[in-house]
Amino acid sequence: MIVTYNWLKEFVDFQYTPQELCDRLTMVGLEVEAIEEIGGKLDSVIVARLESVEQHPDADRLTVCQVNTGAEVVQVVCGATNHKTGDLIALAQPGSVLPGDFKIKKSKIRGQVSQGMLCSEKELALAEDSPGIMILPTDLSLGEPVFAALGLKDFQIEIGLTPNRPDCLSVVGVAREVAALCEQDLNLPVSKLNEIDESIENMASVVIENSDGCPRYAARMIKDVKIGPSPDWMVRRLEAVGMRSINNVVDVTNYVMMELGHPLHAFDFRYLHDGKIVVKSAQQGEKFTTLDGQEHSLVAEDLMICDGQQPVAMAGVMGGLNSEVQDDTSTILLEAAYFKPTMIRRTSKRHGLHTESSHRFERGADIDMIPVALDRAASLIAELADGHVLSGMIDNYQRQLDPTVVEVCSKNTQNLLNISVDCADIKKMLESIGLQTQDVDGSDCLQVTVPSFRPDIEREVDLIEEVARLYGYDQIPVTMPVGTVDAKLPPQRQLLQKYLRQTLVSAGFSEAMNYSFVAEDSLEKIGISASDVRSAQIKILNPLSEDQSVMRTSLVPSLLETVSRNLNYRSSDLRLFELRPIFLTQPESEQCTEKLSLTAVMSGQREPEGWSQSSASVDFYDIKGVVEDVLAKSDIYNVSFDSNDSQPYLHPGKSCQIMLGKQLLGYLGEFHPEILARFGIDQPVFVFELDVEAIITVAGKHAQFKALSRFPDVIRDSALLLDVSISADQVMNFVNKSKVRFVESATIFDLYTGKGVPAGKKSLAIRVCYRDLEKTLTEAEVGKSHDKLIRSLCHQLDAEIR
Amino acid sequence: MQERLQQLQKDVLTSLQKAKDLKSLQNVRVEILGKKGSLTEVMKGMRDLSAEERPVIGNLVNNLKKEFENSFLSRQLQLQQQDIAAKLASEKIDVTLPGRRTASGSLHPVTLVTDEVVEIFSRLGFAVAEGPEIEQDFYNFEALNIPKDHPARDMQDTFYISDDRVLRTHTSPVQIRTMLKHKPPIRVIAPGTVYRRDSDLTHSPMFHQVEGFLVDSHVTFGDLKGILTHFLNEFFGDGYSVRFRPSFFPFTEPSAEVDIECVICGGKGCRVCGKTGWLEILGCGMIDPAVFESVNYDADKFSGFAFGMGLERMAMLKYGVNDLRLFFENDLRFLKQF
Repeated sequence: MIVTYNWLKEFVDFQYTPQELCDRLTMVGLEVEAIEEIGGKLDSVIVARLESVEQHPDADRLTVCQVNTGAEVVQVVCGATNHKTGDLIALAQPGSVLPGDFKIKKSKIRGQVSQGMLCSEKELALAEDSPGIMILPTDLSLGEPVFAALGLKDFQIEIGLTPNRPDCLSVVGVAREVAALCEQDLNLPVSKLNEIDESIENMASVVIENSDGCPRYAARMIKDVKIGPSPDWMVRRLEAVGMRSINNVVDVTNYVMMELGHPLHAFDFRYLHDGKIVVKSAQQGEKFTTLDGQEHSLVAEDLMICDGQQPVAMAGVMGGLNSEVQDDTSTILLEAAYFKPTMIRRTSKRHGLHTESSHRFERGADIDMIPVALDRAASLIAELADGHVLSGMIDNYQRQLDPTVVEVCSKNTQNLLNISVDCADIKKMLESIGLQTQDVDGSDCLQVTVPSFRPDIEREVDLIEEVARLYGYDQIPVTMPVGTVDAKLPPQRQLLQKYLRQTLVSAGFSEAMNYSFVAEDSLEKIGISASDVRSAQIKILNPLSEDQSVMRTSLVPSLLETVSRNLNYRSSDLRLFELRPIFLTQPESEQCTEKLSLTAVMSGQREPEGWSQSSASVDFYDIKGVVEDVLAKSDIYNVSFDSNDSQPYLHPGKSCQIMLGKQLLGYLGEFHPEILARFGIDQPVFVFELDVEAIITVAGKHAQFKALSRFPDVIRDSALLLDVSISADQVMNFVNKSKVRFVESATIFDLYTGKGVPAGKKSLAIRVCYRDLEKTLTEAEVGKSHDKLIRSLCHQLDAEIR
Repeated sequence: MQERLQQLQKDVLTSLQKAKDLKSLQNVRVEILGKKGSLTEVMKGMRDLSAEERPVIGNLVNNLKKEFENSFLSRQLQLQQQDIAAKLASEKIDVTLPGRRTASGSLHPVTLVTDEVVEIFSRLGFAVAEGPEIEQDFYNFEALNIPKDHPARDMQDTFYISDDRVLRTHTSPVQIRTMLKHKPPIRVIAPGTVYRRDSDLTHSPMFHQVEGFLVDSHVTFGDLKGILTHFLNEFFGDGYSVRFRPSFFPFTEPSAEVDIECVICGGKGCRVCGKTGWLEILGCGMIDPAVFESVNYDADKFSGFAFGMGLERMAMLKYGVNDLRLFFENDLRFLKQF
């Protein structure tokens, strides 16, 4: 909503500067989003007098003028023809910047010095077109800025209104708040109406068939109007508040709407069949063309204004092309009505027509304003279009709405706001914004009658809010709440998410966040079949685009996109993770499960590039190490890696499931090169996915201390010749589960195939550490244990000592 | 003999000084004290001396030997130090070459800000709650006093999953879910992902919010001001003015917007604050009695406040990020800065 400083001043006598006014409005709940001085940058365009106008010696169409600025006489070359010696004109001095970023400089035109420019209305954005330069009234004083001299100086104030304040969708509504702020009276515009003898009752009639949608419909008639342009002052006012001038009659309806807040509509009466207005629901499927030329197919819920035969306006939204005011219109039927907000809202939305009118009706217009607005508009049309207002007003008001009455108690106000106000204070504040109050005997309460322009006030708390607003939020003292605090440690679920993030960050991963919605075919792109549970994706009914149309059931596609994008940005060493929900559902089911997934990808060099680092690339075992770290940090041990099953998007030989006993925790591996190619990625990428919900259920609480031995360890190394099909896990599981005495730990420290090792075999070297809690082990004890361990290992896994 | 000894003393000291490294120093020692060393020879010749001469010469020889040993040791130390100094000098490295670092990762700035906000409120006794991102209409709208066709739905263009399920448009439904489960007193903070059907330079269809609320007996608007002023001072640092001004939300009454003095220009007015000197940072208010009704709280017994803020906005202000879209493009050059 835009209002102007001067327009507000018509209704309330306030002393605030424009900036003060804006600050006050913002602090009372009408947030000023912008303030702009009209002609604010044009102070160097001044009133000046033409001392002489002579033909340019070297150009037929130019004149050379001597211009008196009040301080000096300067020479200006001008191309207009409508000026003469003695005229007062608008001189843009060098340095001025005219609308459209047009800079005025001192220059030479065909050899003649020109110190500025004589301006037209158009050049000053005062008119859409102008025939020549602007000739000013003769009583202005030289040197004064033109806008100030003409009284055009004003400030546009743009207010971001909250939807609960339809009363402020007008200059008068905002003025009412200003009047309350500065404790002045609000002076409403007075309509002087000279009605002719002829009565509207004999000419027209109004029938309301749908009184639920339209409880009140009023009309006035003006005849003998002459359609033409509006006077400058009205055009400028309308432009200042963001409306375009159409013609004098339409402009009046818009002007009154901006002034009083009530939308009006003018019909060309000659096109209303039977001189009749009927308010009723539309026929399903009926076609109707609004005055913007758009054809709409109506539904039965649309409320229409009809004449004796057909619809002539979409109620509260837009008039029809068939009854629009035209250049030769002479009799006007002027409509002012109240329409049910939800109905207008639905119709406006359904047909994609959001207008100044629908904006006000859907928020709640002021039903009592109808006759006032109608009289105001009729008198202005009579004045500006030479019309004659017929006597009387049709006012079909079938369902009179009772005013809302609400009680407010000072005790409740004090308790909620923590301020000391009594009934008298509250009364004064509420009455200042037009509410009527009555004392309730023997109590600290007031009975408040809510005027029809405040449909938002329905309950005591709404009144308390008004008190808070007018008292000033900044005046309410700052306190800290007292009371019981029951603060527990965050639950395991939240802590674990934090640990997981920290572990990945210390492993060099950066956290990514992708949109939760993806393209429907994103799973297909990574080779997941339609029968997979993840293919039952939740669809968004109204997505912004196809690329964001389903909720993701895997973080993999988005992360591959992320990898691809980063490679394009030439970041080739990538470690990224996402810890976000995936949205799973059963086919044909309404139920949705949001499960946290942790997915991480890794590619490029193992160590950051540098002068002394190795340039080895990451491989399967780097990402596996990260998984092992993550699980260990969650106190999950004894995890197994099962290569018999993995995912279609992974390399079949370099991928596995991550299992805890029989529970699946996730997947791990290198991406299938064909999948990578689909994302335009040409370097190996490794990934793991962990089901965080599963991790949460199996995560250990905390570490358990194991006693430290004070005695030295003894190390024994052995190289085993094994069949290549024997996995490291098989070896280690055997060692870890063996009951051989004194074994403290074992690690694999070498893997070798090649010269000296027969085909189909591999050499695996293990290092076993022996130690006892109670004593130093002897060579004999260790030798016995190691022999036993290696012998049973060879026997069990068909191995040989190398 | 005495002359010979004096000569020897001179020679010894000269040759010690002449030895330029530890090896030649060792050779000098052999030359003097070795089996055929000059001093050894002198000592061997002692038995040919007379009984009177022997103690005198013996004494001289012993002194000479001691002197030699001392000189030898000090010369040896000197040469050792020289050696070490030379070795160290030869090992000088360029300390300005970069050190070997392990790859360093980073948390997303939204995570960082979420953690910080949660941390501040945790110290004030607020517990963290969560809720689903696909939310029922009841929790997202109805229970929050936003009935169908309410003009406030204008402010929330919503992604629909079905007639009665939406991608939550704010974290406020967590308020309803929590209050339905727990009775007052209650202090909860609920960070989470939210969605609105809006995508341009300054709007992302997915973003993050934190919702907070406190319900107890006798909670006042002053308490709301107290908690939020404290929070903003902790988050942005002391010294920024905070102002509360009237606004509208269907689920609070009275409602307020909270502005903080522009942290970029210090209130002088800049591009970020739209030349107003103020940044809009939080929406809040006293919980509307209609909300209490939908969760079966007695509005006569309890009062409370709720607030919500956008985490991307907080992150943009805190870290000086000027483009919202960067948060979801996941460019490592961006992510690694945090």
